[in-house]
Amino acid sequence: MLPTITRQGRLVPWLYLAPALVIMLIFIVFPVFNTISLSLKDKTGTRSAEVSCVAGEPCWGKFENYRYALTHPEMTQALRNNALWLLLMVPGTVIVGLLFALLADRVPYESLAKSIIFMPMAISFVGAGVIWRFVYHIESGGGKQIGLLNALLLKLGANPVAFLSNPAINNYALMVVGVWLWAGFCMTVLSAAIKGLPSDVLEAARVDGTNEWQLFWRIILPMIAPTLLVVTTTMVINVLKIFDIVFVMTGGNFGTEVIANRMFKLIVTDTGRSMAITVLLIVLTIPMMLFNVYRFRLQERER
Amino acid sequence: MKKTIWTLLSTLIVLAFALSACRPATPTAAPDTQVPATEAPTQPPATEAPTKPAIPEMCMGAQPGDELTVMYVWSGAEEEKLNAIFKPLVDTCGIKIVAESTRDAAVVDARVQSAPPDILFWPSTAPLDLYTDKLVPLDTVGGVAENYASYWLDLGTRDGKWLAVPVKADIKSIVWYSPAQFEAFGYTVPTTFEELDALVEKMVADGNVPWSMGLESGPATGWTGSDFIQDILLALQGPEYVSKIISGEIPYNDAGVLQAYQIYYKWASDPKYTVGGAEGTLNTSFLDAIYKPFASPAEAMMVKQSGFAGGEIVKQFPSLVYGTDFDFFPFPGAKGMQGGADFMMVFGTSNATKAMVAYLTGADGAATWAQVGFDLSPNKLAAGKYTDPQLAKKAEILANAAGFTPDIGDTIPAPFGEAEWKAIIEVLQGGDIQAALDKVAQAQAEALKK
Repeated sequence: MLPTITRQGRLVPWLYLAPALVIMLIFIVFPVFNTISLSLKDKTGTRSAEVSCVAGEPCWGKFENYRYALTHPEMTQALRNNALWLLLMVPGTVIVGLLFALLADRVPYESLAKSIIFMPMAISFVGAGVIWRFVYHIESGGGKQIGLLNALLLKLGANPVAFLSNPAINNYALMVVGVWLWAGFCMTVLSAAIKGLPSDVLEAARVDGTNEWQLFWRIILPMIAPTLLVVTTTMVINVLKIFDIVFVMTGGNFGTEVIANRMFKLIVTDTGRSMAITVLLIVLTIPMMLFNVYRFRLQERER
Repeated sequence: MKKTIWTLLSTLIVLAFALSACRPATPTAAPDTQVPATEAPTQPPATEAPTKPAIPEMCMGAQPGDELTVMYVWSGAEEEKLNAIFKPLVDTCGIKIVAESTRDAAVVDARVQSAPPDILFWPSTAPLDLYTDKLVPLDTVGGVAENYASYWLDLGTRDGKWLAVPVKADIKSIVWYSPAQFEAFGYTVPTTFEELDALVEKMVADGNVPWSMGLESGPATGWTGSDFIQDILLALQGPEYVSKIISGEIPYNDAGVLQAYQIYYKWASDPKYTVGGAEGTLNTSFLDAIYKPFASPAEAMMVKQSGFAGGEIVKQFPSLVYGTDFDFFPFPGAKGMQGGADFMMVFGTSNATKAMVAYLTGADGAATWAQVGFDLSPNKLAAGKYTDPQLAKKAEILANAAGFTPDIGDTIPAPFGEAEWKAIIEVLQGGDIQAALDKVAQAQAEALKK
């Protein structure tokens, strides 16, 4: 005779779920609601956000902090930059990662090549930011250019470039660092997917006379598409939250501001606005997460 | 077979017990011998006490062993200097200082709301407005007001009560230069803003670069520019004007501020006036900017930087000698000093608290502070007691100053400072000055709004 408790009643599944639910409630659900309620408060987090309205200027009442998050020049710049990051860094990391995964698959020193590409992932992002600050360093006046890139430029007879403070190029300079950091991650996951392809399919295609170009576009790419999608959505979420690189390298100055950096800068000085930005960031990442969950369900059903 | 296992096990257990019994035996034995030793010296004073007053006057009745709780932001080498300053009082009175070091205002707030420290040292007077009712007026706990210039007392007074006194100060309105270079080119140290302006033009005419500027400081990029502009304001408008910007009476887009920005822009953006022009100013870190006038060959003639620059110059160029290779002068024409000050505020009324307040605001504390050389002591009685020549000179500059203003950016609530830095960067990138200042004025109004 089994003890009563192990018999499946209505309550028992909840009992099993309880620890996870309690932890979720404390560490996820409560903070989310707390953040939302704080985002409707003023800079001290005590009074309604309405008090920060200025007479004669547009005011969104309780949602005044959201007016800041969506319309203030500081924030529109950050939103624009984040969009630029998404547009360039996500394809950048995925394409570079895919390229290395494919090429490394064909050389005898594969593991060495992959380790080198993956290495930046092992460095702390702050450390990477510091390293690249030196790479981009520009020395004013007659001193020697100690920055790697500017030393090279000088050797080639060109003038040194202020990579980090020139608004025309600094965002791209930061994205190069982002790609350098994350391409290794994309490569590892995609490489695993390529390795997992059944060899009989590839062989059959080759026997049928496809060239490598066709093999990639017609066979490999469709077969690793699910993985590619997971990598892309993961990168979208990562890039939306981009912070370390910008904070360390430019501090968001010179027109390189991003959403997460604004959130961090305001967290002490203006609770309401900081929380409104946080909510905005959550709202932006939710579609990506829903999409991931949807894909996951679809795959489960296919099994 | 089974029996042997049991005997083995039991002997092991016995051995283990024996071992564990041995180990604590040594530590317990030690206190046993120490107890009488500590009792011995405590007994004689108990009998001698009635015959002579054991407590020196400076202790204000504090008994040996009395605890004094203090909170401050210092740690490491700075904390060591502070302890060296406390030492004479601690040694004489036997009071025990229980210190807590934090830079987090939230931690201080939590402590003040629950169990306030006897004494709080803080790098601004912000706690004055937060805890006006909880703070104890300093004149009731032995504070000596006459040892401080009136502008110091004004900074620490709320509702007519004297609640905060500066214990430590450093001045920012300083220009560093190389006396050897000045001599070689026949330049003299300017004493008025007009003289400075003329000197700068003369240097440019001679083909020398007058300024070395560096804004870059990670997320805090821009603060050196804000210091520079405040010094121009102190020279052209005076300390009252600066105080009114801090209080919000004068908006940041006022004509006086605009003029200061225009002067700064001229000096900070033209390669003839500063190393590398605007690009150099924006990309050079504030530390690298300090080195340039003292490198060989010198890249610039002067760098405007706070008191700490002297230490950085020596670190970078250990062979340079203060006074001949590098020296400083107060920002020419500044009608008041810009600087940072740490204030002492008191929550407790115990005898130990009184002893500390009286000590630091009196002659002994001032002299010790100067000798230890923990930056400057605003206490008038510290004058002439400095052993470090650089500190002595700074102290003299501060003593002759007609006023003192804290950093505008640091004093106006937080988002303002960032707006100020942003504007400076924007201006140096070629943005319209008036438009940039309008934005800062908006941030100023927003930050000061209650």
